[in-house]
Amino acid sequence: MSLILDKITKVYPDFFIDVSLSAEKGEIITLLGPSGCGKTTTLHIIVGFIPPDTGRISLNGRDVTALPPFARKVGLVFQEYALFPNMNVFKNIAFGLRMQGWSRRDTEARVRGLLELIRLPRYEARNVSELSGGEQQRIALARALAPNPDLLLLDEPLSALDAKLRNQLRSEIRRIQRELELTTVYVTHDQEEALAISDRVVVMKDGRVEQAGSSYEIYNRPKTRFVAQFVGITNMLPARVSSTRGGYTRLSSPEGTFLTNYHGSLEKGQKVTLLVRPEKCLIGGETTNENRVMGRITGCEYLGDSTIISLTLKQNPFTVKIFGPLTCKVGEEVRISFSPEACWILRD
Amino acid sequence: MKQSEQSGGKARGIERHTMGASGRDTLLFLFPLLFLSIFFYFPLVSILNEGLTDESRRFTLNHVAAVLTDRYSIRVILFTVEQALISTAASVLLGLPGAYILARYDFRGKSIIRAVTTVPFVLPSIIVVLGFVIFFGNNGMLNRSLMATFNLEEPPLKVLYSMRAIILAHTFYNFPICIRLVSAVWSRVNPNLEKAATSLGARGMRLFWHVLLPQIMPGILAAAALIFIFCFTSFAVILVLGGGPKFTTIEVAIYRYAKVSLDLKAGSALAIVESFLSVFFMYAYIRLQKQVSFAEEIQLRYEKKKLVTILRSPKGALAVFYLFVTFMLIIAPMLAAVSYSFLKRSGWAGRTTFTLEWYRRFISELSSGALAVSYRAAVRNSLFFGALTVLLSLPLGTTIAYITTRKQLPARGLIEAFAMLPLGISSIILGLGYIKAYQSLPVDITGSWYAIAFAHTVIAYPFVLRAATSVFRKINPRLIQAALSLGATPWRAFWRVELPLIKSGLIAGATFAFAISVGEINATLMLYNPQFTTIPIAIYRLISSYNFFAAAALGTVLMAICFAVFLLIDKIGFEVS
Repeated sequence: MSLILDKITKVYPDFFIDVSLSAEKGEIITLLGPSGCGKTTTLHIIVGFIPPDTGRISLNGRDVTALPPFARKVGLVFQEYALFPNMNVFKNIAFGLRMQGWSRRDTEARVRGLLELIRLPRYEARNVSELSGGEQQRIALARALAPNPDLLLLDEPLSALDAKLRNQLRSEIRRIQRELELTTVYVTHDQEEALAISDRVVVMKDGRVEQAGSSYEIYNRPKTRFVAQFVGITNMLPARVSSTRGGYTRLSSPEGTFLTNYHGSLEKGQKVTLLVRPEKCLIGGETTNENRVMGRITGCEYLGDSTIISLTLKQNPFTVKIFGPLTCKVGEEVRISFSPEACWILRD
Repeated sequence: MKQSEQSGGKARGIERHTMGASGRDTLLFLFPLLFLSIFFYFPLVSILNEGLTDESRRFTLNHVAAVLTDRYSIRVILFTVEQALISTAASVLLGLPGAYILARYDFRGKSIIRAVTTVPFVLPSIIVVLGFVIFFGNNGMLNRSLMATFNLEEPPLKVLYSMRAIILAHTFYNFPICIRLVSAVWSRVNPNLEKAATSLGARGMRLFWHVLLPQIMPGILAAAALIFIFCFTSFAVILVLGGGPKFTTIEVAIYRYAKVSLDLKAGSALAIVESFLSVFFMYAYIRLQKQVSFAEEIQLRYEKKKLVTILRSPKGALAVFYLFVTFMLIIAPMLAAVSYSFLKRSGWAGRTTFTLEWYRRFISELSSGALAVSYRAAVRNSLFFGALTVLLSLPLGTTIAYITTRKQLPARGLIEAFAMLPLGISSIILGLGYIKAYQSLPVDITGSWYAIAFAHTVIAYPFVLRAATSVFRKINPRLIQAALSLGATPWRAFWRVELPLIKSGLIAGATFAFAISVGEINATLMLYNPQFTTIPIAIYRLISSYNFFAAAALGTVLMAICFAVFLLIDKIGFEVS
């Protein structure tokens, strides 16, 4: 393991952090959660701005818990770039090298190499104030990478950028991180960003880890209601287990009965919640899907590549996402269907 | 709730253990604490002690009660308030049109007009006095030219040594403050409010009264409060232009008690009464000022009209006339002083001729005329005290600013109030405190060079503190975090990242402190011995002995120093008020 946070705690008057997590060499893990969930505080504990009350932080086998931030070899990139305004691009990137006492020639070569890596060659003499947001953030990345850190921390690095640039820089960061095989912790509140960039996603809530897993697991196999709701839109129907057999679980609810391929151990009669992602449902037409339920359309949003249809079943609201356009009338009764494989079950 | 705690924590970000040893912290606190205790609070307590005890050192309110019932003291207090009120009203009325013009119009030279409104903060009061005596004096420029033009035997305007002179000088000195503060507020008023009100049928006076005035009122009140404080504690203007017991203010009365009748008990009692009032006014000003700066910051600005395009309208002509008159009002007395410095007159009614005689005296080391020292020594003394003030007030103000912006403090508000109190205590009272406090000690520091330097530091450092506080607040704490994460120790992070960013603010504060020291006359007059005569004291002595031409030469040198300071501050863009 490259990074280990072992039972880190930090207590504030009205808030606390209680986190254990680890990252393998070259892995990029994301701390995902709403603002106030403790992800930035956790990051600041890792970099050393905040001392934990208890617990141990180890980095490539070194125990760094008691080290000040400047001795940890951790690179940090901020949301608002935080480039030194009194220095040009070269001096910003060279700052960490200067602190390590690199020679002038080595520094110049290193800065040149990094500028090529971030695809801003010959930017050395530029003033940071004349750069665009995307350029500034790439310089900030180069600055953090310059002293060869053991770990790279990115604190919402794309939040200040517009949507198009965000996607572009996201894959750029991913490319560089892979190229350097650099262990990385990435903080964001944007679930799409988290799913796209991570090897592993750590969903946080109220200072604790709610669930950690691959993007696929987090999206398709949420362990808690919070994770299910925070990551993407999801339909939730309260139900009871009516039978379990041959890798299938049958549920009954006021909306009808549903067949799922969930094969965890469940008691007959147990209260559960059925989860169905909107894009895994169909509306109307001929279908071989086992699960069918009637709903009344309450709203329709055409998004160009897809259409979001809001409905009400007997008691519960329901959302369906169809790819492409769909002519639909508000008030119309339609049939919704989905396969057993589209279902996931939360134990209440 | 958690949210705000969180973001508060983020903003400070760096906790104690990364900021270095706590031993260094103790030292950090110790320096300002010791300095202020010895050179501000000890003298202040000495005055309280003197004014509130009887001969047998028992607590008594008799002296304060005497001040509040004695006919002379009551007259002095009432006169002080009266002249301050009238001066304030006149300054605000004269300044408001200027505030309107600066907020609403664009014209060539606007930046100069705006810069000129800094003058009251930088120009020493003794220069105002000098300019007035030379320009409005019975034998001054205005009277002489009027007499020459209309063939008069007697000077037609007898302005000096009267209430009029005081009001006029205070108004001239302070109306730019009103322009500066109110125009800033006025240009921040959301123009859509006015459009909305107009669309609802409000026009002319009703629009002004119901919509605009409530918006700019906090600005007007803040400006009025500040001007009132300046006039209430004005000293040199009253001492020279008022003269006589009839036109004595509290400050002048304390000065006379301390230096002429040597009645420190009565002086201290009066000082206690004045300090109560001035601290109260200062508090009111700070509250009003906060209200102004809390007013919503909006992006919308008035579309400024070009002054030239409306010049043909009566309103535009009026605006240009106003700008011309007020500009002249500020410049004329100063120009008069400069031109006088190149003149000499043979006898009381003789002809004036061009001379460089006064400036030649700067080369000589001989003491001259009414002074115990040479002009050269006066300049040297002023520069010496100015430099010492910078050397002391810069670390003092910066340290306090660092502590109050970076450290987790219990009772932060109280600490800030203690640090800013010197602003609320007049320099005459500070001088009195030094006289009283160090009288009983084996070393009498009054009359020494260091007493003056320490007094100047106490007077000047709040401005360094303010400048440093604002630059410390502006620094993004992330920059320091970034430096730390890149391997910089806290000390190197301060040296390489923070210091370069706060440098200009510190320079502005230091420059301002220098200007204050060089122009300071109140505390200096209380503490100096002739050997340490400064430029302002020399000017005062020369005016007192009616040697206006020589005074003008020293005044010109002082103005040149202040002008350089003014240019520097204007370039750096430090908000002085």
